Amino acid sequence: MSEISQIKSETLKIAQKYLPERRFLLAILQDIQRHYNYLPAEAMKTVAQYLNVPLVKVCGMATFYKAFSLTPKGKYIIKVCDGTACHIKGSLNLLSEIETILGIEPGETTADGLFSLETVACIGACGLAPVAVINDEYHGNLTPASLRQILQQYQGGIEDAK
Amino acid sequence: MQNKKTIFVCCGTGCQASGSMKIYQTMQKIISKLDLDVEVVADIKKTGCHGLCQKGPLVHITPQEITYIHVKTTDVQEIIERSIIKDEVIDRLLYFDKQQNAKIQSKNDWSFEKKQFRIALRHCGCIANDSIDDYIAKGGYQALEKVLKTMTPQEVIDEIRKSSLRGRGGGGFLTGLKWSFAAKAQGDIKYVICNGDEGDPGAFMDRSIMEGDPHTVLEGMAICGYAIGANRAFLYIRDEYGLAVENMKKAIADAHARGVMGQNIFGSGFAFDAEVVRGGGAFVCGEETSLIHSIEGSTGEPTSKPPFPANQGLWGKPTIINNVETWANVPVIISKGADWFASIGSEKSKGTKVFALVGKINNTGLVEVPMGIKLREIIFDIGGGIEKKRKFKAVQTGGPSGGCIPESKLDLPIDYDSLIAEGSMMGSGGMIVIDDRTCMVEFARYYLKFLSEESCGKCVPCREGIKSMLKILNDICEGKGQEGDIELLEEIGSMVKANSLCGLGKTAPNPVLSNIKNFRDEFEAHIKDKRCPAGVCKNLTKLYIDQEACIGCGLCAKSCPTAAISGEKKQPHVLDEAKCINCNSCRERCAVDAIRVH
Amino acid sequence: MQIIINGKTYAANPGEKILDVARRNGIEIPTLCHSEALPGLASCRLCMVEVHENGRTQYVASCTYPVADGMEVFTNSEMIAARRKILLALYNLIAPDSARIKGLLARYHVEPFDRLEADPDSKCILCGLCVKACEELGTNAISTLNRGTKKKIGTAFNEPAADCIGCGSCAIICPTQAIEMTEAEGNRTIWEKTFELLRCRDCGEYFTTPESLEHVRKKLGETVGNIEELQLCNYCKTKRAATRLKDGLHLDEYLDSDK
Ligand SMILES: Cc1cc2nc3c(=O)[nH]c(=O)nc-3n(C[C@H](O)[C@H](O)[C@H](O)COP(=O)(O)O)c2cc1C
Ligand code: SF4
Ligand code: SF4
Ligand code: FES
Repeated sequence: MSEISQIKSETLKIAQKYLPERRFLLAILQDIQRHYNYLPAEAMKTVAQYLNVPLVKVCGMATFYKAFSLTPKGKYIIKVCDGTACHIKGSLNLLSEIETILGIEPGETTADGLFSLETVACIGACGLAPVAVINDEYHGNLTPASLRQILQQYQGGIEDAK
Repeated sequence: MQNKKTIFVCCGTGCQASGSMKIYQTMQKIISKLDLDVEVVADIKKTGCHGLCQKGPLVHITPQEITYIHVKTTDVQEIIERSIIKDEVIDRLLYFDKQQNAKIQSKNDWSFEKKQFRIALRHCGCIANDSIDDYIAKGGYQALEKVLKTMTPQEVIDEIRKSSLRGRGGGGFLTGLKWSFAAKAQGDIKYVICNGDEGDPGAFMDRSIMEGDPHTVLEGMAICGYAIGANRAFLYIRDEYGLAVENMKKAIADAHARGVMGQNIFGSGFAFDAEVVRGGGAFVCGEETSLIHSIEGSTGEPTSKPPFPANQGLWGKPTIINNVETWANVPVIISKGADWFASIGSEKSKGTKVFALVGKINNTGLVEVPMGIKLREIIFDIGGGIEKKRKFKAVQTGGPSGGCIPESKLDLPIDYDSLIAEGSMMGSGGMIVIDDRTCMVEFARYYLKFLSEESCGKCVPCREGIKSMLKILNDICEGKGQEGDIELLEEIGSMVKANSLCGLGKTAPNPVLSNIKNFRDEFEAHIKDKRCPAGVCKNLTKLYIDQEACIGCGLCAKSCPTAAISGEKKQPHVLDEAKCINCNSCRERCAVDAIRVH
Repeated sequence: MQIIINGKTYAANPGEKILDVARRNGIEIPTLCHSEALPGLASCRLCMVEVHENGRTQYVASCTYPVADGMEVFTNSEMIAARRKILLALYNLIAPDSARIKGLLARYHVEPFDRLEADPDSKCILCGLCVKACEELGTNAISTLNRGTKKKIGTAFNEPAADCIGCGSCAIICPTQAIEMTEAEGNRTIWEKTFELLRCRDCGEYFTTPESLEHVRKKLGETVGNIEELQLCNYCKTKRAATRLKDGLHLDEYLDSDK
């Protein structure tokens, strides 16, 4: 099966968990995002057809909500909390440290596809501010130095070490 | 079984972030291993947030009432051996209360807890968050039963009106009044919505309630459904709140299984059903018309009011939207009565409010206090004062829609109206404590940057006004501020507030305007002297080490990422300005405050 | 029902908006996003007025705020004028070349900001009229994309608009002429897609695209009385109708249906 027709059939399977009603557009896109880590164009076309919603409106949704990305994300998604508590405890310094080490800004992915960087609003762990979450693993009370160490572990391929 | 011991492991997000799931798993493993030869049965319950997240993971044991903080997996064996089997207290794991200057056995006696009064958070941390049995054992769903069996819809609305409950989502609109509009609106299909979008970047109380006590929200919504004649409900929950979504879905399923949701509830003929809608990640979707469009499957762009949702909401039908915390108050008001509720709080703001007390404060966490409590009590009695004994500067409330309350207003009684009078807002209840190391210009810039990304972009005052104001603030923070900037910010700001379409734009300039009002000198220092007094704006900061104060411990040098600090042990150190990138790491580390700002 | 505008009393009908009553009576309220055919956008925020109602003073968008008996409206208070100036100065930053914006700046004596630089490449004020027009037609070839300060109008994946029928409604309705539509040698290019143009049966001028014609035909289905009329430009259509009127024939709905 070609890649395109595979995406089509996979997407259709995801979409068909919901009735073909406009109100499920957000939920279906969320499931697709979760499945692929981004929204492939072909998938968006399939959903547009399934729900009978104009394609351009699907694009509007996909670019309006922060949950979606139109390009593939990295293997590790670094979410630096820039909630208010983390902000006043130095989350900007964490971001500039990441930029120094990995050369990416929020919203970008490293060329090797290993890391994506995002900022998130409060994740409710203010007691540990500043906080970053790397693929669901929380790291609290960070300093630029401790963050550097953590990133090095991921660069060394620690995915199984956790 | 009498005196059955129960271990509560806090599994709120804060505690999970510090590893409470591992504690829970280890605890379970050891308990089941010992099961055969030990007589004590321990029940480990996953509970929602206790509030004091900073001290997590928290473990609480009943009936002895022992609370342990910062528990590690290596402590688990000892806790079971000593506290469960032998009834001993492990001193090492107790909380040291600075105000009382003693180690305290039970969380109930922490100073952090003493001035609190819990209604919305009443169950969080003391019932299993995934058990409908626990909720029912604590009297859950009795309010719904009372309403369905003994009250008319009008009586329910009257009771809520009499309680003077105001919406906890920010605006503080009278809940009972809003319900009466929807009740009067024509139409046989009506809807109830729970606003669980919680977009304020400094608040997390709604998440705790949804995670820790999902049934109270459902019960509140069902009561409203009966009162206004709605049979269907939607809970719009931030998708990032995975645990809240999961617990809420399970709660709905369990409620169906128990017959407290579905057809013919309590034999009354009343039917009610709810479903969860995951939010797409947009602050503006907390705004009610925007949230409605999002549920309908569109982009979350607000539309003009009127028509108000109570008359024309979801799919054009009369719709009641309330905040999570508002819903959590409803069953209690019905059970304990409007008079009881109205006896708590201040004259025009009744009941309690949950605040997320965070920032430069000793005790970080969720606190629920009666309305009208003084700011000073929250910050110093409950919060234990400013971290590292620094100087209190201000407290920010209302998040991106609010403003700062300066030190001179520490004795302000906190309620909806007093905060608005100060140019701030209750908002969703974020309370960020700020010390002298926070730059008020940069802080205003932070919120505006947030809003520039979160504005839906539909209307020009908000989109372009925020963009222009942000441009000016960026300039000021980079040292490119000009004479007249402050006045221009004020002018644009007041237009944006007046002309914007929705609440986001109407409040967006608040953080800037309030900081200008209270800390104008800091803005002027940036613009005229090209100096950031707090040492935050990198272009305007020069650090140096006070040679008198430095004790030569070397901590600063170790923390510096660019090796800009050097010196002999026990000798005053020096900082090389050329290498310094102003990250402030050294300043945070120095125990004697020897690193200063020029 | 009556309302008072700037001290004078006017008749109003339930369901009307303040702007409707003002316009009918020649009272000036500036607007950018309002179109009688596509009301309700309320995005330009230029039409703000002060309303005194039930003892409360509110500042509202006159294009969407419904009239109520006895309400008092002010369209030109000092406050309104001051805020309008600031707002128009912001418009000048995003559409500095637009004739409509220039006219408004002159009309209301607005000094442009010298502290903030206008973007010479920017034309669109994101009023949303074009999207609404395209939606109303049922073509849905364009939409708003992104949000906040990055918001823009565009096509799916920013590619040449697949669903566009080249009718040009968006370009015509745009208050700032931000949508590029060029016509040359019998072709029309819009949204990076080029269409062949048809000539009017009567006068021979180019007037529309075959895709637009097909769209209208499909939409009207069986009800269309005279296919031939569709193949006329607006001018000739009116001319024929006028002739028919003169001949005592009835002017039919299809005259409006091609809006
Ligand atoms: C930009 C914006 C964001 C909002 N975010 C939230 C939110 O996250 N949660 C919430 O409950 N209300 C939020 N609100 C308030 C809601 O619009 C609405 O007033 C509230 O949900 C009503 O419930 P209440 O009366 O119980 O407070 C927001 C309002 C605006 C304008
Ligand atoms: S005020 Fe801001 S968020 Fe609200 S409609 Fe206007 S642009 Fe959108
Ligand atoms: S292109 Fe024109 S009509 Fe469309 S949103 Fe921009 S200004 Fe309005
Ligand atoms: S005419 Fe644009 S907001 Fe009213």
